[in-house]
Amino acid sequence: MQFDDQGRVNKSKKRAVFNQPEAKNRVELFRHLPQYEHGSQLTDLESKFLELDSMHPAVYKVGVQYLAGDVTGGNARCIAMLRAFQEVINDYSTPPGKTLVRDLTAKISSYVSFLIECRPLSMSMGNAIRFQKSRIAKLPLTLSETEAKAALCNDIDRFINEKIILADKVIVRHAATKVRDGDVLLTYGSSCVVEMILLYAHELGKQFRVVVVDSRPKHEGQALLRRLLAKGLSCTYTHINAVSYIMHEVTRVFLGASSVLSNGTTYSRVGTACVAMVAHAFRVPVLICCEAYKFHERVQLDSICSNELGDSNDIARVPGRPDVNSMDNRTNEKNLQFLNLMYDATPSEYVSMIITDYGMIPPTSVPVIVREYRREYLLI
Amino acid sequence: MSLSQLMLGPNVVLCNAASQTYPSCNTFTHALSFFNKIEGSQATARQTAELLRSVISQQRVPYTNQAGALIDAVKAIGEQLIAANPVELAVGNIVRRVLHIIREEDLSLTTAAIGGLNLSAVSDDENDDDRDGDSTLSAAAVAAAARSTLRPPSLQTLLEDTPVSAAVPQTSSSGAADKSSRSRKLKHDVIEAVNELIQDIVTCHEQIAEQAVEHIHQNEVILTLGSSRTVLEFLFAAKEKKRSFRVFVAEGAPRYQGHLLAKELVARGLQTTLITDSAVFAMISRVNMVIVGAHAVMANGGVIAPVGMNLVALAAQKHAVPFVVLAGSHKLCPLYPHNPEVLLNELRSPSELLDFGEFSDCMDFGSGSGSPLLHVVNPAFDYVPPKLVSLFITDAGGHNPSYMYRLIADYYSADDLVVQRRATAGN
Repeated sequence: MQFDDQGRVNKSKKRAVFNQPEAKNRVELFRHLPQYEHGSQLTDLESKFLELDSMHPAVYKVGVQYLAGDVTGGNARCIAMLRAFQEVINDYSTPPGKTLVRDLTAKISSYVSFLIECRPLSMSMGNAIRFQKSRIAKLPLTLSETEAKAALCNDIDRFINEKIILADKVIVRHAATKVRDGDVLLTYGSSCVVEMILLYAHELGKQFRVVVVDSRPKHEGQALLRRLLAKGLSCTYTHINAVSYIMHEVTRVFLGASSVLSNGTTYSRVGTACVAMVAHAFRVPVLICCEAYKFHERVQLDSICSNELGDSNDIARVPGRPDVNSMDNRTNEKNLQFLNLMYDATPSEYVSMIITDYGMIPPTSVPVIVREYRREYLLI
Repeated sequence: MSLSQLMLGPNVVLCNAASQTYPSCNTFTHALSFFNKIEGSQATARQTAELLRSVISQQRVPYTNQAGALIDAVKAIGEQLIAANPVELAVGNIVRRVLHIIREEDLSLTTAAIGGLNLSAVSDDENDDDRDGDSTLSAAAVAAAARSTLRPPSLQTLLEDTPVSAAVPQTSSSGAADKSSRSRKLKHDVIEAVNELIQDIVTCHEQIAEQAVEHIHQNEVILTLGSSRTVLEFLFAAKEKKRSFRVFVAEGAPRYQGHLLAKELVARGLQTTLITDSAVFAMISRVNMVIVGAHAVMANGGVIAPVGMNLVALAAQKHAVPFVVLAGSHKLCPLYPHNPEVLLNELRSPSELLDFGEFSDCMDFGSGSGSPLLHVVNPAFDYVPPKLVSLFITDAGGHNPSYMYRLIADYYSADDLVVQRRATAGN
């Protein structure tokens, strides 16, 4: 996270697997974060496919999926990464003269740096990697290689099952109790957990309407909208600027999160803070749905100290609007910068409740869960 | 109504219907081009004022109650202009401004005239014969004058009510010359005042921009949403005075006018960063001031602004960032906003948000149970309550939102809030 330090940047460039030209017009406030030109990255990586013999093909595939944007969302990215690590472990054989623990940890670290180059890690992925490394470190030395590999794969399976899949089911059960007949539920962007909640509540036969709020540049809400309409839910679609207009008819707001930090701040897709703020102004309860493995002991006050910057061309180019698109050739203009933030931090006072697999908690209880339950899954 | 008239739309029908009562054709070709092509409240306000000026100059006024005739004429046209585009509040504002001008000019002329008559009555005191005649003259003249200025009826005017036609021949011989010169003077004064109004509308940007240096300091960071010409001129004026500052422009979906504003700012050498509307809350903690334009300013100090402005105002309040609204005085509306999200709003086409082809089966009223599964909401305007606004900068200076009601008393009359022609016969 120190891209304003030239020495570190040069070192990381030497170790880099593929070329990433830095963006020419960097926003000053975000000099500490990586800003790359996104145009040539994918082709560059694809061309290097046959040259990368140190890279396991499963990890390479996941990296390409991240870079191309095919796999998005905290849970999906985490599961993809862990499955790739499972394959790595299965295909692994200890080279002579090295111990399994140290060598495997080093390999995993190098794969993780490759994935970071493709796309910076989300907090869920960071927690999963820490879990993985601690499991490797805790392997008893008496185990043979095959037993060790089996144990590690088992651990990964249990992690995915307990922390993600079952956790989602528990969250859905809890949250469905908060949906009443006649409700108008608002959601922003596309969160897999919120989608599951809405579909489950619909299956239970509850009568409610959904408002899907969307924003540029990714328009993630449209995919969610399509899936909800396919199941027969009655939906309203709008863009984030109109959220003040629509909020007076909304009864509950369900939002997903990439992570919840220890000071109660919710770190999620950019625009979530705006929606939560308007809901708070209209006295509408805001419920964040987040699995407990995404909690983090970090604290953050604003959205600038730590964030991810996307492709600035996505902002400059508006698809389908040629009158506005005459900006496209101006990405190299000295005075003009485009800022494509991926995440933002929602203050805890806007959040009424967080629904996790440990139950429904207020935002102030997050550090308690981090402290009390973090040890638990390390010990399984 | 022919088929071609029906296809052209309601504006044309209204104008054609009105042309039967007002045979001046050029007025209506004016009005026709009005609603189809003109955008922006400044241009609309200017065109309205020019249209009303030509209506006034072409209006034939009777000898008595000239102001009343002018007011009726303006109200007739104004009613139709407002009905054709109720969301464009500048039209109604200018109509009411012109009505107020007519009333004011008439009042000042009559006070001058009454002052003159009283003097003449006093000076002829010595001559008894003349005195009786003059005193009746003065009483009837005062009554007629009072009626013609449309003041609320006093005991005097009520008592003098019946012999209006009797009084006129008595006074007509001596007063005819005065009256006709007075009517010409009234029209002349009114047209002069309307010209001043047009001049004010045209130069409002410069007058607002002059105040830029008082509000922008060095190394400032300014946030704005969408595009407003007033804001553009304001920022340019500060740049001219060598203030260095940076601008964050939120793009203002779904019209994306922020892109155009950013282009203009960069062309003038200002450091600009374009952000999405969803990033406003994230960035506002690093912003010193929010400067935006408005579509209209209501009587309670609330603002009708392009959609997304309420979001920016709430975020600015949370981070204690001053929220400054720039508005020319033609945007000040004497109405109070009741349910402004619905009544003063316009819903635009869903195609700006969604590709119709992909969701057409869900939006179809004809499928399934008769009501579509999917509704798309695309409002054009947003309402910002007065408690979120820190300052209004108008061409008459800077004001608090709580002061706006007072400016209304300067520009508008209470009688004109509802612009409707009186339903009396024989007008």
